[in-house]
Amino acid sequence: MRLALALSIAALLAVFLLYTSIAGGGTPSLRPSQLLVDTHEGKRVTLSGKVIGTVRGDAQAGGLRFRLRDVKGTGSVPVVYRGSVPDMFRTGRDISVDGHLRSGTFIGVKNTLVTKCPSKYSSKK
Amino acid sequence: MAELGRAALVICLGLSVYALLAGGYSAFRGKRRLSLSARNALIAAFAAAAVASVVLFAALVRHDFSFSYVAEHSARRLPTLYALSAFWGGQEGSLLLWLLILTAYSAAAVLVNRRSAPDLVAWVVPVLGGVAVFFSFMLVAVSSPFETQPAPADGAGLNPSLQNLHMLIHPVLLYLGFVGLTVPFAFGMGSLLAKRGDERWIVATRRWTLAAWGFLGIGQLIGAHWAYVEVGWGGYYAWDPVENAALMPWLASTAFLHSVMVQEKKGMLKIWNMLLVAGGFCLALFGTFLTRSGILSSIHSFTESPLGAWFLGFIAIVIVFSLGLIFLRLPLLRTKTKLESLVSREASFLYNNLLLVAFCLTILWGVLYPILSEAVRGEPSHVSGPYYNFFLHVFGLPLLLLMGIGPLLAWRKTSLRTLAKTWAWPAAASVVAGVVLLALGAGSSIPGLIAYTFSAFVIASIVVEFVRGTKARRAVAGGSWPSAFSSLVSRNRRRYGGYVIHAAVVLLAIGIAGSSAYDTTREAKLRPGQSMEIRGYTLTYRRLVEHQAENAREIRALVDVRRGDSAEGTLSAGKNHYPVERQTSNEVAIRSNAVTGEDLYLIAQQIDPNGTVFFKAEVLPLVNLIWLAGFIFIGGTLIALWPDARESRRLAERYGYAAARA
Repeated sequence: MRLALALSIAALLAVFLLYTSIAGGGTPSLRPSQLLVDTHEGKRVTLSGKVIGTVRGDAQAGGLRFRLRDVKGTGSVPVVYRGSVPDMFRTGRDISVDGHLRSGTFIGVKNTLVTKCPSKYSSKK
Repeated sequence: MAELGRAALVICLGLSVYALLAGGYSAFRGKRRLSLSARNALIAAFAAAAVASVVLFAALVRHDFSFSYVAEHSARRLPTLYALSAFWGGQEGSLLLWLLILTAYSAAAVLVNRRSAPDLVAWVVPVLGGVAVFFSFMLVAVSSPFETQPAPADGAGLNPSLQNLHMLIHPVLLYLGFVGLTVPFAFGMGSLLAKRGDERWIVATRRWTLAAWGFLGIGQLIGAHWAYVEVGWGGYYAWDPVENAALMPWLASTAFLHSVMVQEKKGMLKIWNMLLVAGGFCLALFGTFLTRSGILSSIHSFTESPLGAWFLGFIAIVIVFSLGLIFLRLPLLRTKTKLESLVSREASFLYNNLLLVAFCLTILWGVLYPILSEAVRGEPSHVSGPYYNFFLHVFGLPLLLLMGIGPLLAWRKTSLRTLAKTWAWPAAASVVAGVVLLALGAGSSIPGLIAYTFSAFVIASIVVEFVRGTKARRAVAGGSWPSAFSSLVSRNRRRYGGYVIHAAVVLLAIGIAGSSAYDTTREAKLRPGQSMEIRGYTLTYRRLVEHQAENAREIRALVDVRRGDSAEGTLSAGKNHYPVERQTSNEVAIRSNAVTGEDLYLIAQQIDPNGTVFFKAEVLPLVNLIWLAGFIFIGGTLIALWPDARESRRLAERYGYAAARA
């Protein structure tokens, strides 16, 4: 009986390991300044930061263009993004977006832009 | 007024400390009168928490902006109804809600059980007191809702996305669920402290666990519905940490609700049940912490929020306390009964538990992944949709099938011959469903097809169970079919309520599979007069209309819907601009088909000044079954919860106390 139990737990673990080995764990989350140090060439990363400057362009055509800066810091990168834009998006908001750096510009993956903690539900003071 | 609130909280803290210390000492020494006084202190703590809550609520209704909390979370123009939303719209208020619900549950649970299980209640009081000490201490010293300031002219207002009925009810239901898990935890630990190795604590808290679990389930569905109609990205669940925060304790308590049946019936799984009840409570605390401290994106956010360290410390104390206690009482919890066969009811409960707990742990792993990977590799990584969906398929689909198999198995062991007989109908139903669906083209998604065939199996097995039971009942008592049916259900509320809940879960699975595996999405940029096609619908964009509402400018794109030759009315999707809050919100249009349960979902993603609109349209088959499942879930939970005079008489005989008049 104990054997059956041990086997089933082992099976569950095996499934888990199988998944992590196939999918390779997770997407790295970076700040703009980290991206400037190590581009993670060609690899998909999540970039989080604050939107600064003016937002130009059309997210449904040529792409939305803006700069993303460290929430606490000075490093910043230009971003081009296509796809749906959350209601809360505007200059000054903290956002994160998936993509990769190509020749100095961060190319966003479609529909991955999310704004962070806009609600008063957060405890940040 | 703020002084009154603060004083009430200090008194609540004092009473809780008394309930903890005097309660613990008196239970240890067997001092009956002191024990009663500790119990009464716990009940009085509820009164104190109620006074504090009334003070805060009154301040919100009167727009008393000298309360910092009121100034930060409401405004003059906020309708009185949403003063309630503002009550739990912030950290301090929601902690107060936790304390209020906790003390209310505590008072009710010790009062209800005071006669039938006095020795158990004597030990439950200090455990509940200990939890109340933590929350009242937080409210007194760390995060007070009664901070005052010179009153500003107006408050900062409440986030528009919280100003709706969903967000009025959803947090309360989740809290009723989270906090409700304290009751079985306290009785479990109380039972260990009282050196009882029996299942008395499970019997005493069955309905409490079920109610908490039901609140948690419904609360999550309302949250999902809110995301679907208000947030407007076309989905209802996104595996967000805050959503997972409620899902994890729900999964753990689902496992618990099943495994306690094995202990009641066979006296097995005693240690496991203690671990589950402690784990469920810790996950509820963790869930509160997650929703209260924002998204956990980094190790550093723990230190940023003053609340974080306290919560983690308390969770650590609870873990050490409960594991230590379980370890100390291991000799009491050992059982002699062994599992006799791997094909039996108790074995199926075991599989159910393993799958639920495994799913729960993989979600926990995913939620903690950013912190763990930062700690190990110095760089945070996170997992998203595909990770969770993989495990939903790997653990969720077998669980679905098990829901059909388990109830058909007999306790102890089941022979292959009876198995073949009871499975004939469900197996046939699932094969037929599979073939028909394959012919209809459902093969485009393998997990979807599997989910549907399994669902057919479960539904057929539930029907078989009801038919079998009704037949047997009629053979014993005679009478008509309907009367035999109703007497069957009322005599076994727990069992048949459970089957109704199973049916709700199947509907939920069908709805999720239909809307996530067989959905269609189209995007198009349209000028007035242009059309787009999606799955038999023709959407023609007519024009933009603008309307100035009280606090927002509303822009809507009017879109005519046609299906074949028939006109199906006009949808209006657009955006609201809130000038004061400087916010925009998507206002989606949804057209539900009452017969097929399918939704046509339209989002005006981007509205250009020249009148061009970028639309995103989705067709989500069967999505309405998810909401229907919610109502059936409530019905099933109520059936299983309903007071049962026959059951209380049976219990009174078993545990030798006078039956309470129900």
